[in-house]
Amino acid sequence: MTSPTERFAAARWQAVLRSRPMLTVAMVALAWIGASFFQPGFGGWRHLRYLLELAAIVGLVSIGQTLVVVAGGIDLSVGAIVTVSAIGVPLVTWLADPTGTAPALFILLCATLIGALNGLGIALLRVHPMIMTLAMATFLQGVLILIAGGSAISAQNAVLSWLGNARPGGISASVLLWLLASAIALWLLHKTPFGARLFALGTNPLATSLSGIGVRSTTIAVYAISGFTAGLAGALVLGVNGQGYVGIGDSYLLASIASVVLGGTSILGGRGTYAGTIPGAILLVTITALITMLNASAGWRNILFGTLIMALLLLSGRERQRR
Amino acid sequence: MTTSTSLLYWRIQNVRNRGLWWLFAVVAAFIALYVYLFPGLLSTGGISKFSQNWFPLALVSMAQAVLMLAGGISLSIGATVSLGGVIAATLLAGPLGVAGGSAVVLLVGAATGLASGWIVVRLGLPAIVVTLAASFIIAGWALLIMPRPGGAVPAWFSDLLAGNTPVALGLLVLVVLLWKLYLATPLGLSLYAAGENPVGAYRSGAPVDLSRIAAYGLSGLLCAAAGLFVAAQTGAGDPVIGNAFTLNSIAAAVLGGVGFLGGRGTMRGALAGSLLLSIMISVMFFLGLPPVAQYVAQGLIIVVAVALPEIAAMRRPRT
Repeated sequence: MTSPTERFAAARWQAVLRSRPMLTVAMVALAWIGASFFQPGFGGWRHLRYLLELAAIVGLVSIGQTLVVVAGGIDLSVGAIVTVSAIGVPLVTWLADPTGTAPALFILLCATLIGALNGLGIALLRVHPMIMTLAMATFLQGVLILIAGGSAISAQNAVLSWLGNARPGGISASVLLWLLASAIALWLLHKTPFGARLFALGTNPLATSLSGIGVRSTTIAVYAISGFTAGLAGALVLGVNGQGYVGIGDSYLLASIASVVLGGTSILGGRGTYAGTIPGAILLVTITALITMLNASAGWRNILFGTLIMALLLLSGRERQRR
Repeated sequence: MTTSTSLLYWRIQNVRNRGLWWLFAVVAAFIALYVYLFPGLLSTGGISKFSQNWFPLALVSMAQAVLMLAGGISLSIGATVSLGGVIAATLLAGPLGVAGGSAVVLLVGAATGLASGWIVVRLGLPAIVVTLAASFIIAGWALLIMPRPGGAVPAWFSDLLAGNTPVALGLLVLVVLLWKLYLATPLGLSLYAAGENPVGAYRSGAPVDLSRIAAYGLSGLLCAAAGLFVAAQTGAGDPVIGNAFTLNSIAAAVLGGVGFLGGRGTMRGALAGSLLLSIMISVMFFLGLPPVAQYVAQGLIIVVAVALPEIAAMRRPRT
């Protein structure tokens, strides 16, 4: 005989195993095992660690994207904010200190403010999120080219290059940072009133507003968080590459949306979890690595990528369109 | 009887135009500014050149607006324009000739749209993600056909479309007339209903699914037509030339008052929105702003223009 508590625990485990994030984890495992058979060295520790380092950057951008999408919005400016951060740190020379902490923190503040500005436009001026963030991306792109020009800017930043390259205990610092940020994101989304408000906002904004919840402040906060995580990812990009240029962050926009959706979060808002986005980001990076290995032309790489995303969506992302 | 029907018609049109008067006013102001800066606009050549710059943007804005009216959205607009362009630059000078080549371009555009539409409507996947994935596939296809800019378009065809005659403007009028005709067909009639309230429309016997899939097909067709025109304009195909159109098409449709949730908005609004964007770019060019500053100004103007009704409402005392 099992006690009710044990049965409850067992049911809970079954629910976890059957949940959407687990499906994505299973897909990642399948992709990794399959790829190791065809490509010796793919499943090696060094290569997997490298994939995780790439996924860490996508995953950080996707934190903000997940929260925004859960709240019923979308942030199309994350790519531009990643670039702002990657170019901005070397430009803030007046704050230069030997460790490089001050410029990094300053740029993170700027990225957060840019996100908050998105939120202000969406909450106060009622501009649709897609338009507001697109316009912000266009605006930032112009400003960046005006400030930085077309050339790459190198940086000597101790903190960021440690974050990008150090491997304390064999585990990459960037992956550790991602783990920490993920824990905070999951706590924020599922254990705090703020997280509950995000789900409410994504499900039914009108009812949320009528329940006396500060829709405006919540909206501004969630876009500010998205700006912050995109800025953090940009700082990491700078740390890994050692230089930034206009356009360096562009690919992270689609990557963040794709990993959010592959992780089972509804693009229509109100449903989802960052726990799915984590394997979603790893899956995305794995697919990209697999396609790169095939040594195909740019055209075929694009076609394969699009087809795989579409196929994975069919497998996992089916949902009746709700209104 | 006829008078009362036409009276009703104009009353309805008046209601539908209600939110658009400020937009028409802004467009008129920008046209006046443009004419002031560049008096040559009022000649045949000036109008021809201007309408040629506007034409592809007008087509893609219509392509986006059709989908948004039907409750969808497309992020593969730019890729489809590029695909249309490279196919045109490959086929028009070949054995198929201009007529055959153009037909293939339009067919391919409609087919890609129908395929995305089928996946969205029949398989129940969110439109924004499907068209995002489709944009990769379509862009990849364009890159396979033409890895780098090249190809050719017969000179007489380029002269016809992008010469010193306002053929583009005439074509645009034709497209708008065809759109009016389409709205009178059963599929067109159910377009607004399918976007506004799919369940209600379905229960009233409207062909909801078919109408939405047809909207995707129509959208792809318009994008490919824009690609064909761009190829004629530049005299060559470029696999990435369409990229900017995706964002601009959404911006134009939203400026024109087309709603994201379907069933709200008008095609004349979307066209006015695209005209505003197009004039804005021309005016900034004439003011001598560097292309980069245009990005900055464009971002600001789009937000301000979209937020204008809300700002106006805030200034009004609430009752």
